[in-house]
Amino acid sequence: MSEWRVPLTDIAVPEEDVRAVLDCLESGWLTMGPRTHAFEQRLSEQVGSPHAITVSSGTAALHLACLAAGIGPGDEVIVPAVTFVASASAPRYVGATPVLCDVRSPLDFNIDPDDAARRITPRTRAIVAVHFCGYPADVHALRELCDAHDLVLIEDCAQAIGALIDGDGRQAGTIGELGAFSFFSKKQLCVGEGGMVTTADAARAERVRLLRSHALSSSTWDRHRGHDPAYDVVDVGFNYRLDEPRAALGLSRIERLDASIERRRATVRSYREKLAGIDGLELPFDEQQVTRSSHFAFPVLLADRAERDRFRAELKAAGIQTTWYPALHSFTEYEQFAPPGGLPQAQATADRHCALPLSSSMDEEAVDMVVSAVADVLS
Amino acid sequence: MAGTESFPALPLFDLRLQPQDLQAVAETLRSGWLTLGPRTAAFEEAFAEQLGVRHAIAVSSCTAALHLAYLAAGVGPGDEVIVPSFTFAATAAAVIYCGGTPVFAEITSRANPNIDPDDVERLITDRTKAVCAVHFAGYAAAVDRLKELCDAHGIALIEDVAHAPSAQLHGRKLGAWGTAGAFSFFSNKVLSVGEGGLLSTNDDDVAAFVRSRRSHAMTSGTWERHNGSTDTYDVVGLGFNYRLDEPRSALLLSRLGRIEQEIERRRELTVRYRELLGGVDGIIVPFTDEQVPDSSCYVLPIMLERDGLQAEVSAGLRERGIQTSIFYPSIHRFSAYRERFPGVSLPLTELASRTELTLPFYPHMSFDDQDRVATALAEVIPV
Repeated sequence: MSEWRVPLTDIAVPEEDVRAVLDCLESGWLTMGPRTHAFEQRLSEQVGSPHAITVSSGTAALHLACLAAGIGPGDEVIVPAVTFVASASAPRYVGATPVLCDVRSPLDFNIDPDDAARRITPRTRAIVAVHFCGYPADVHALRELCDAHDLVLIEDCAQAIGALIDGDGRQAGTIGELGAFSFFSKKQLCVGEGGMVTTADAARAERVRLLRSHALSSSTWDRHRGHDPAYDVVDVGFNYRLDEPRAALGLSRIERLDASIERRRATVRSYREKLAGIDGLELPFDEQQVTRSSHFAFPVLLADRAERDRFRAELKAAGIQTTWYPALHSFTEYEQFAPPGGLPQAQATADRHCALPLSSSMDEEAVDMVVSAVADVLS
Repeated sequence: MAGTESFPALPLFDLRLQPQDLQAVAETLRSGWLTLGPRTAAFEEAFAEQLGVRHAIAVSSCTAALHLAYLAAGVGPGDEVIVPSFTFAATAAAVIYCGGTPVFAEITSRANPNIDPDDVERLITDRTKAVCAVHFAGYAAAVDRLKELCDAHGIALIEDVAHAPSAQLHGRKLGAWGTAGAFSFFSNKVLSVGEGGLLSTNDDDVAAFVRSRRSHAMTSGTWERHNGSTDTYDVVGLGFNYRLDEPRSALLLSRLGRIEQEIERRRELTVRYRELLGGVDGIIVPFTDEQVPDSSCYVLPIMLERDGLQAEVSAGLRERGIQTSIFYPSIHRFSAYRERFPGVSLPLTELASRTELTLPFYPHMSFDDQDRVATALAEVIPV
């Protein structure tokens, strides 16, 4: 089935976005130039982080964040098991071991600072706080924990651009030493493939910039502008550059980001109101978290795995696309990192949740269609 | 005009896209499907057919393609990969990503600055897992000999085809000789898109491995899940995000149809450049006229016969509004590599790096501009 009545997500690309990309292509300058620079400045303002460095993906952002955090072979990095696999792959790229930790509960499925604290060893170097589905993790508790143990806090904001940490407007990606963002196609701010690292630390920012482009001491753009053609390679870097057409697209779309998140939030509120009281369904988080989340996805909870699977199958039959996120330790590749005793809350979250359709262009009619299908399935 | 912050009147490269290219990107954006989908599949199929290989796998960059090629060849900690030093740093850096050690081989000569198969043969040890041949400037390295050598030793031949789409040797396209070929679609390349790359292979297992690792070793992608063909996925290895997205695939697919024509124009201009430069004293123009019809003619490299003039000649040309570049400083001389792999000495490579200049070159370059470069070069080279 490829024609969903209500797809999981839907990306609207208005003509102003198309025009921005075409203008860039017509200019003939496609890599690391003025548009990337402008996009980074705009992102820095948007997120409220002194440094915003665009990269090729959220995965690349996590990899460079790990390097800029000084993580290396032999180190351990604490990562919640409820996340996309890249959160744990990135420490492995730099030779470190991901130590999987639990989340608080299916109703609050972000990293549990108490469980993280129990997993700290002399080799622990960093904690990755994932703001899953856009709901802010308890980074204040994690900040204290990291400070007490001299650890680096990395915020995985791949699903959480625009999420609010506090009532005072401070955003995800500004509490940890480093933040990693994704502009993948399903994300609140999407360009296809893309990502960003944020940091308040100039030295870390410099390191991320350097390693993003093969640790070259000057760029193609610098040389195009007439700088000396000679360059040095001062470290083993990568090609994690974003190109100009994607920066142009991001720059055009970021103007609508706040409104787009607000629409997602309004849709989630409408969902929650209409779904409240349906037997067999639980809604994670509370109104305060709904206010602070930037709403990448809208997960609901079913009684157990069998019920969730039945729920999904019946919604699929009704033309409604849903998804769920397996916990990392259930993957073949990550069984080796499953702690003795398991991760009960992460497992329960993975078993019980189902993400319903959500996008910034979703209308009330689509919400009603989903709600009525959900009510049918659970009646 | 000249000056440290000004744009050169004659740039090193100049990309011009056609209205149909823009149209292809616009249609993709309007479709709202931006990642790994039908356009990437169509581009991969067209590229594989044009190259004459079983598999073409689009990735985020040539660096990514090299990384996956080395991994597919089994390169891991303790292994050695023989690479030229007269290339971009990625050729060697990707070996280090795998935990391996790059072992640097000499070029044949300044007139043929591709990897020297005799030196490669001398450098093979029990720990050698692969040899990487870079087809410098679009001219074939001796992959015929290297293929025999690698087969005899049971090691993989990887081709760095960043410069050489649609180039060939003995009628076989470059990128179709080795276990895998790594192509670049970086903005200054023959087939450019911004950032992008591709891995070519005839080996079904290599292709399956690369497709898996390109997208986090996930057993299904967003597109398959959107299609309803699968509901969930497993992760079966340590993978990466090396995906190319749909707008870039659409642009590549649109441009691919004209690539042979553009390369033909590059060849005509190269022949003319070679004639003009033949009249300039004090330079070597690498490769031969006979090689031009088989080359993709990516760039026009020259070597200054006398050592010690590179900075002066480059500055003289810049004053005359002509941008040049150095393809390439020797990798083993970079500080990052001197620290990690000290004591490497490659006299021919080092001399080539100290005397090479890459001249402005692009398919729509005018004869007048070529004349200007040759004249300026004759003026600035001290007699």
